[in-house]
Amino acid sequence: MPTVVLMDSSLSMTRPVSVEGSEEFQRKNLAVHGLTMLFEHMATNYRMEFTSFVAFSSLWELLVPFTRDYNTLQEALNNLEDYDKTCLEAALQGVSNIVQQEWGTSCPCQVVLVTDGALGIGRGSLRHSLQTVKQRVEDKKFPLPFPFPSKLYIMCIANAEELQATDGMDNLEQLINLNGGEGQIYTMEGPLCLKSVQSMFGKLIDQAYSPFHAVLRCGNLTSDVQVFPRPEPVIIDEEVDPLPKTVQTDLEIVGFIEIGDISSPPVLSRHLVLPIAVNKEGDEMGTGTSDETEEETSTNQMAGKSPNFCVLLHGSLKVEGMVALVQLGPDWFGMLYSQADSKKKSNLMMSLFEFGSEPLPWLGRISQLGPASDAAENPYGEDDSKSPFPIQPKNKRSYAQNVTVWIKASGLQTDVQKILRNARKLPEKTQTFYKELNRLRKAALAFGFWELLKSVAELLERECTLLPDSAHPDAAFQLSHAAQQLKLASSGDSKYAAFEHNITPMLTDFSGGGGAERI
Amino acid sequence: MRMFSVSHKTAFVVDHCPYMAESCRQLIECDMLTKSRSQGVIPLAPVSKSLWTCAIECSMEYCRILYDVYPTKKLVNYIVSDSEVHILNSWKQEDQNTQELMAALAAVGPPNPRQDPECCSVLHGLVAAVESLCKITEYQHEARTALMDTADRVANRGRIICLTNAKSDTHVRMLEDCVLETIQEQNKLAAGSDRLMPIQQCELVLVHIYPQGDDTLVSDRQKKELSSVLSSEVHSVRAGRYLACKLNVLVQQHFDLASTTITNIPMKEEQHANTSANYDVELLHHRDAHMEFIKSGDLHMAGSTSRDSGLKETVTLKWCTPRTNSVELHYCTGAYRISPVDVNSRPSSCLTNFLLNGRSVLLEQPRKSGSKVISHMLSSHGGEIFLHVLNSTRSTLEDPPSISEGCGGRVTDYRITDFGEFMRENRLTPFPDSMVDAAGRAPVERAKSQLERQTRYWPMIISQTTIFNMQAVVPLANLIVNDTLTDEDVLTCQKTVYNLVDMERKSDPLPISTVGSRGKGPKRDEQYRIMWNELETLVKTHVGTSERHQRVLDCISACRSKPPEEEERKKRGRKREDKEDKTEKNGKDTEEKGWTADSERLKGVMEREKDEQSECEIIKDSPDSPEPLNKKPRLATEEQQPPEKSKGPVSLLTLWTNRITQANSRKHQEFAGRLSSVNNKAELYQHLKEENGMDVHENGKATR
Repeated sequence: MPTVVLMDSSLSMTRPVSVEGSEEFQRKNLAVHGLTMLFEHMATNYRMEFTSFVAFSSLWELLVPFTRDYNTLQEALNNLEDYDKTCLEAALQGVSNIVQQEWGTSCPCQVVLVTDGALGIGRGSLRHSLQTVKQRVEDKKFPLPFPFPSKLYIMCIANAEELQATDGMDNLEQLINLNGGEGQIYTMEGPLCLKSVQSMFGKLIDQAYSPFHAVLRCGNLTSDVQVFPRPEPVIIDEEVDPLPKTVQTDLEIVGFIEIGDISSPPVLSRHLVLPIAVNKEGDEMGTGTSDETEEETSTNQMAGKSPNFCVLLHGSLKVEGMVALVQLGPDWFGMLYSQADSKKKSNLMMSLFEFGSEPLPWLGRISQLGPASDAAENPYGEDDSKSPFPIQPKNKRSYAQNVTVWIKASGLQTDVQKILRNARKLPEKTQTFYKELNRLRKAALAFGFWELLKSVAELLERECTLLPDSAHPDAAFQLSHAAQQLKLASSGDSKYAAFEHNITPMLTDFSGGGGAERI
Repeated sequence: MRMFSVSHKTAFVVDHCPYMAESCRQLIECDMLTKSRSQGVIPLAPVSKSLWTCAIECSMEYCRILYDVYPTKKLVNYIVSDSEVHILNSWKQEDQNTQELMAALAAVGPPNPRQDPECCSVLHGLVAAVESLCKITEYQHEARTALMDTADRVANRGRIICLTNAKSDTHVRMLEDCVLETIQEQNKLAAGSDRLMPIQQCELVLVHIYPQGDDTLVSDRQKKELSSVLSSEVHSVRAGRYLACKLNVLVQQHFDLASTTITNIPMKEEQHANTSANYDVELLHHRDAHMEFIKSGDLHMAGSTSRDSGLKETVTLKWCTPRTNSVELHYCTGAYRISPVDVNSRPSSCLTNFLLNGRSVLLEQPRKSGSKVISHMLSSHGGEIFLHVLNSTRSTLEDPPSISEGCGGRVTDYRITDFGEFMRENRLTPFPDSMVDAAGRAPVERAKSQLERQTRYWPMIISQTTIFNMQAVVPLANLIVNDTLTDEDVLTCQKTVYNLVDMERKSDPLPISTVGSRGKGPKRDEQYRIMWNELETLVKTHVGTSERHQRVLDCISACRSKPPEEEERKKRGRKREDKEDKTEKNGKDTEEKGWTADSERLKGVMEREKDEQSECEIIKDSPDSPEPLNKKPRLATEEQQPPEKSKGPVSLLTLWTNRITQANSRKHQEFAGRLSSVNNKAELYQHLKEENGMDVHENGKATR
């Protein structure tokens, strides 16, 4: 989930904050302080996150494109200049464009808007934007909701009372509503000071940037892991089951499946599974939270040298070309596999399947998957030449069962031609002739198209009269027999027009016993 | 996504009254005479379908597409109405296929034009459709049962598609009123029943069909809310292909479908097999497969074109001829079942057959910049074709730290091959629904418990383990993790233990890791102590499983090397054991061969052990062993004396030479002469002696 930090750099942000004693702060200083804290947190605990930095006033500017280099972000933050008035709509439009250009529209993004809650005046103010939101033409639409899945976090360098005194709070709430309710407004509690800005950003970090730690388990083999990005809760059916489903912190491997059998399954999201070292106190050391670099390095080295199940699993998955099926919660599954980067690096990845007991039709119900060794006969064959997958559905799809469709005249004509073609090659083609004839008969009966049966009967009778002298005598018998049967069917007489009934070749002296046997 | 939306239940009501027998007045030539045969033959009159036939085949096409894209959970109830109601199927999932419907329709037959039109009406069907919508489906029942006290969350919505020939707008209004009244009545009834549910929302789609050339008596009308429960729309359509188009558009609207045209499909010409032309095939699928285009407003750029039907748009994607058949795990954000629009046209069936045969096709999205982006993939799974959406945008996970940089990344001797073997043994397979074991566990629970059992003791790196580096332990290690052991299994385990005892007695070296320790590592007896401890650890973790598992542990405890004072006592019993061992060894060797050694390293270990075993066999000082060969007086100083391990230390040179000799001897068949030689000297022309009846076995050694 990439992050866009959208920083208000209008003049109002330079308003001083009254702090008793000591030095004087601007709201901007507080904002910078809070963002510094966020960046520091991300650099240590959430360092795979791509973040970009946009400043806005009446114009907006992309100061740092998406990066994981938090020093660059910090530098841009420190060098931020002050501009004119707040004009949020254009800035949000800018964010929308930046994200779409970089990540398309399917990648979920987080937008952290930092503002003092003074949302501009007159044209271009948020109030003005919201008032006109319903009167837009197609290409001047309000940028919210973003076309990509998003969370909009609004960090107000102001306290709630201050915002409620104006219509600031109302406008911001409306903004979140416009984004489909996806997001949250944070305000400062108590006096505007470093401490309260810290606590506000602390809440944001807890809400949106706390790393997801889990235990990966394969029987008794375990590893502490960080799953990045955090798996987000999903809602299955807002009506029947409105509770969001979350990935549990115990990821239990259920068994293994070949890559060819799992066969590029659709997934909700992909995540890196990074092994972490947890020391006895329960602090993570692998991700390096400590400031004492020396100690950190040695801990990292230690962690690097002690065997970790993730590395073993990754190695074997890669070598064997397999995936591990992993349970994420009740009725929720995913898969673990080795993912190679373009370079020679590779990593353990986890993809989440759609929630439910049967996320992939070709695997069937996951709860019915059991150890191959329990089967009476090895489903993979003694020499690994077979596979129990994919599971065949009960009914064949239309394209796999030679259905008859006569919506276009050509479909009907082709079917009639097929019969005639075979009719001219009787008795060699007796079998195909009757097969095609019966197919046409069935469809005509179902569609109530008796007229067609009569027509084809006439066609066959005419074919009979056109037979050359050299023709096999059996051909004439079969043609007139088939024609007669079609005519009987077209009468609707239940004896001859039964759907399940098939016209069988006539037994003649010429076809002898062989004719009957062929059928 | 809502499971129980309006599209969960669709009731088709088709008018079977006498006027439906009327011709649609679109003629079809089915007598296509070829030129050579046309002389003197009068072609047959063209045929034309009745309104009924048009209605049936278009509604069947609607169902065909629906069942292709949604084989489950979207249900159709097919009703035919004349003087009475014919309900052709039920909401049951097993009734949901076109074959059964076709058979039922054949039984109904075309409308009888001579039937009294006064007693026939589509109203009977509409009433039946409303009644049917009140009936609970198995999915609704299941969901309600699962939700218990919140069962009211399960909604009951549905759609009625009525194909009829109406008389006028007033007639249409009468039909609508009738549906509305029936819903109100039925809802009252349903409120008091367990198997019925009141209808919360119903969409009535009235399709008025009239013959070509006639003026329509009914006007089109957009969807309109007739009440909070019922909305209605009217489509007035000419029969034949117009009706087909209309229903095709409707099925797309009703089930959120979209169209993709695969373009540039190379196909051999029917007439000229060596030429190929490019064809297009149009497919329908859930519209989410186009989500990226829709959201980015790229729909038009992606090559979408308006089609003749006016309403429909299709996205064009270009076929990319597959180069390899390699199995690859694509990052795929969705997979949607497809249905070809023109299912039995030649291009369609060529494409679907190609896919059904197991090939996948990548599809390229034409972009204005001319850059090539693979955005989709067509692939079949178990006879169903899916359109996979591939992620074509930048990944947020790019350039991650390599796994070798993280925890455990610096360790180099993971048992990768062994764990690979473990994974193969723990592959999953589907079991029939009824398959629960004695404890009532679902197969997936059995899979988990198997993993748990097999990993109770599973060292991750080679240098952490001795027993898993030893071929000799394999039979026991494979068996002990099982849930149940047979007596025979216990015997095999015991034999394994005896074999180890034997190895220890012979002081066979063990593959103990010397990593981290200087010099030679632990002494031999220390090595065996480590090995026995590890074996005990392994078996102890399974002791609770059954009494037979306990017996294996007992065997180990009884047999493993004891402190010196116990050594004496053990020796007494040894001779008998030796004999047993020998007979067992034959069996064991074959077992070892059956076991697929997977790593070069393990093979090495195995061979070393075998070498050493055979070495030991030669110099065994049991009473059974043959007389020493070299009883003859030495004729010259021997360069290559057989090693005499038992007599004090061996020089490094001897060790090395033996090793090399043994390695070499495996590579060729030994000369018969050298085999029968005594002190490297072989007697020539032995057969002469034999022929002369002389004793050749003078050395006590048989010739081959």
